[in-house]
Amino acid sequence: MSAPWTVKYRPKRLADVAGNKTALQQVLDWVDAWPKGIPKKRGLLLHGPPGTGKTVSVEALANEHGLDLVEINASDKRSRDALERTVGAAARQSDLFGRARLILIDEVDGIDLSEDRGAVDAIVRLLDETQVPVVLTANDPWDPKIGAIRNATTMVEYKRLGLRDALPYLKKICQKEGVEVDEQALRLIVDRDMGDMRSILNDLQVLVSGRKTLSYDEAARLGFRDRKATIFDALRTVFSSPTCLQARRATDMAGIDLDMFFEWVYENTPRQLSDPRDLSLAMDALAQADLYRARIDRTRAWELLPYVIEMETAGVAMSREFTKPAWVPMKFPERIQLLSRTRKTRSIESQLGRSIGARCHISSKRAIPLYLSYVRFILEKNPAAGTKLLEWFGLDEDAMEYLGVKAAAAEVAPTKEKKERKGAKPRTATKPKRKGKGV
Amino acid sequence: MWSEKYRPATLAEMKNQADVVGRLKRFAETKAMPHCLFAGPPGSGKTTAALCLAHDLFGERFMDAFLELNASDARGIDVIRTTVKEFARIATISEVPFKILVLDEADNMTADAQHALRRTMERYTDTCRFILSCNYSGKIIEPIQSRCAIFRFVPLSEDDIAAYLKIIVRKEHVRTEESGLRALIRSSEGDLRKAINTLQAAASVGRDVDEKTVYEVVGRVKPGDVQDLLEIAVKGDFIKARERLRTLLLQQGLSGKDILKQVHSEILRMPIPEKNKIELVDAIGEIDYRLIQGADEEVQLSSLLARLALTSSQKRSS
Repeated sequence: MSAPWTVKYRPKRLADVAGNKTALQQVLDWVDAWPKGIPKKRGLLLHGPPGTGKTVSVEALANEHGLDLVEINASDKRSRDALERTVGAAARQSDLFGRARLILIDEVDGIDLSEDRGAVDAIVRLLDETQVPVVLTANDPWDPKIGAIRNATTMVEYKRLGLRDALPYLKKICQKEGVEVDEQALRLIVDRDMGDMRSILNDLQVLVSGRKTLSYDEAARLGFRDRKATIFDALRTVFSSPTCLQARRATDMAGIDLDMFFEWVYENTPRQLSDPRDLSLAMDALAQADLYRARIDRTRAWELLPYVIEMETAGVAMSREFTKPAWVPMKFPERIQLLSRTRKTRSIESQLGRSIGARCHISSKRAIPLYLSYVRFILEKNPAAGTKLLEWFGLDEDAMEYLGVKAAAAEVAPTKEKKERKGAKPRTATKPKRKGKGV
Repeated sequence: MWSEKYRPATLAEMKNQADVVGRLKRFAETKAMPHCLFAGPPGSGKTTAALCLAHDLFGERFMDAFLELNASDARGIDVIRTTVKEFARIATISEVPFKILVLDEADNMTADAQHALRRTMERYTDTCRFILSCNYSGKIIEPIQSRCAIFRFVPLSEDDIAAYLKIIVRKEHVRTEESGLRALIRSSEGDLRKAINTLQAAASVGRDVDEKTVYEVVGRVKPGDVQDLLEIAVKGDFIKARERLRTLLLQQGLSGKDILKQVHSEILRMPIPEKNKIELVDAIGEIDYRLIQGADEEVQLSSLLARLALTSSQKRSS
């Protein structure tokens, strides 16, 4: 086999990176802004699932703009000293030929706290002092151990590639390679690899090697990467087993995380068991499995686990009676995606709740329905009055921006930031001073 | 917010809840009080009464001797215990020999946490008085109730609400029409906070506050509606109903409990066979209990949606 396609077709220009156009524009704008003055947050944190183009887009950008890219990734040893030596030096000096520099720190959430001691501190200090733009990548930006890094950076989200982004890109590659691949086959691969372009390219390359054509059936029959094969096989087992014993075997299949397995079954049950009679039974079985899960969580009584497993496999399998057999593709659990997408929103909302609650003598949870909806209404009808309210609540920049207020944020931000720099305690106090009784 | 700006600062300024306020004034005069339990609906003045009492007892700088904690926010009894310990340890400089700790939304605490709280209340009784506030005193365990003087707050009368609103209208120079004021009073259902917040929102529109403006606010600020969720489920489109449910939970921030409560209040009026309704009520009750046990909100409510879809499909086929 020739060079891996992931290398061969690595984008050279930003325009060649598939999907995530908004994110790419954000990265470009941010790097472009540097020559006009160092931004307040000197780091950019690109986050998203594997294979969505985070690293590749930074490389393409550097290549296209002739930037000197200094790169550190997970395989490098990242002790404080190592970081100091490589990146730290780069952050202060300019390139020998006077080229502008760009630092890329890959997979920061992969930092091993025991191995890379002081790495987080070193990165935060670097972000504080650097004279050149620093871009970082992470799969899970909400990992608590990189909280300090998150706070010191502007975040850009990369999403899983959808069919619309992936298909044209793949078709171009197939054309260049001179293979004819059925569009349905491409769709299947994209779907099964959940929009992870690296996996998609690897799978596609394996599938077409030594062939001139690839049909849907061939793509479906030929081997996929193990982790995918397992979950799909396990799901088929759940939705088509005639006996309880057989259905239960679904979870024996190697390498299945039980919580994730539940999500897959739960997502796909209404699609696989479309008759309302079957569906209601199956949803009851899943609700029951979930209840056992909750009891285990509460009591640590792991001996209840078999009931979870049997309800979510055999319980679902035995619900099938009226649904006619048909091949329906499996879908990735949407809820998981939505959860991670809305996590930021929810974290800002709870922050909002705390700020409002502290002012209005109420819990953060009830502050949202009892106050925030009114504040939103006022903001819309009378922005000046609304903004005054937000200032009175003492909201920070993120929260203001979340509510669509930009101009005023600039006034509030600096004082807040100074406080944080000095290592002030995080604002959790529920004890507001009763001065300034409001606007 | 006007609801804060015009919150009474002293017991004398509290015009409503005359019974309660009368008794609290005596505490302030004698500088002695027991632990208290304030029970009553939202917006009836529980927190205000506690703040006013503290003010009258300790004077302007009452925040030194007064701490407000929220049972829903201050997670776990351990937090409360350590906070109370820290707070009660340091003596006050005032002539009043105790401090006051207000624990809001105490009915959100589990029974276990309440038992632990009871012990904490006893241990620091010399230096610290507790005021627990809750919507339903029935959710507070007996041993705590028996250690507290219980004060019942009633929803404000229409006259009380009108009186408060008129003061604010005058001071803030809001132009209101009689119909607007009436709509404010009616829609508030005795909840003064709601009445004032609605007034402030309506006033921000910039024209005279009339009935239409008030109902525009009321319509917009109410939390996500389960009505269409039920309609979609009854039409038999489970997948779409589940998506809607997901939006309510994850994007509009409703709790499973909120949704369940709304579904319950709708269910008897729904266009489904009468016999099925009682099965559904039973299912709702079961789910309610499961949520208390920590089950997943979406999964549990989905099973209810699937049942609804089933009920209506049977109705269609028969």
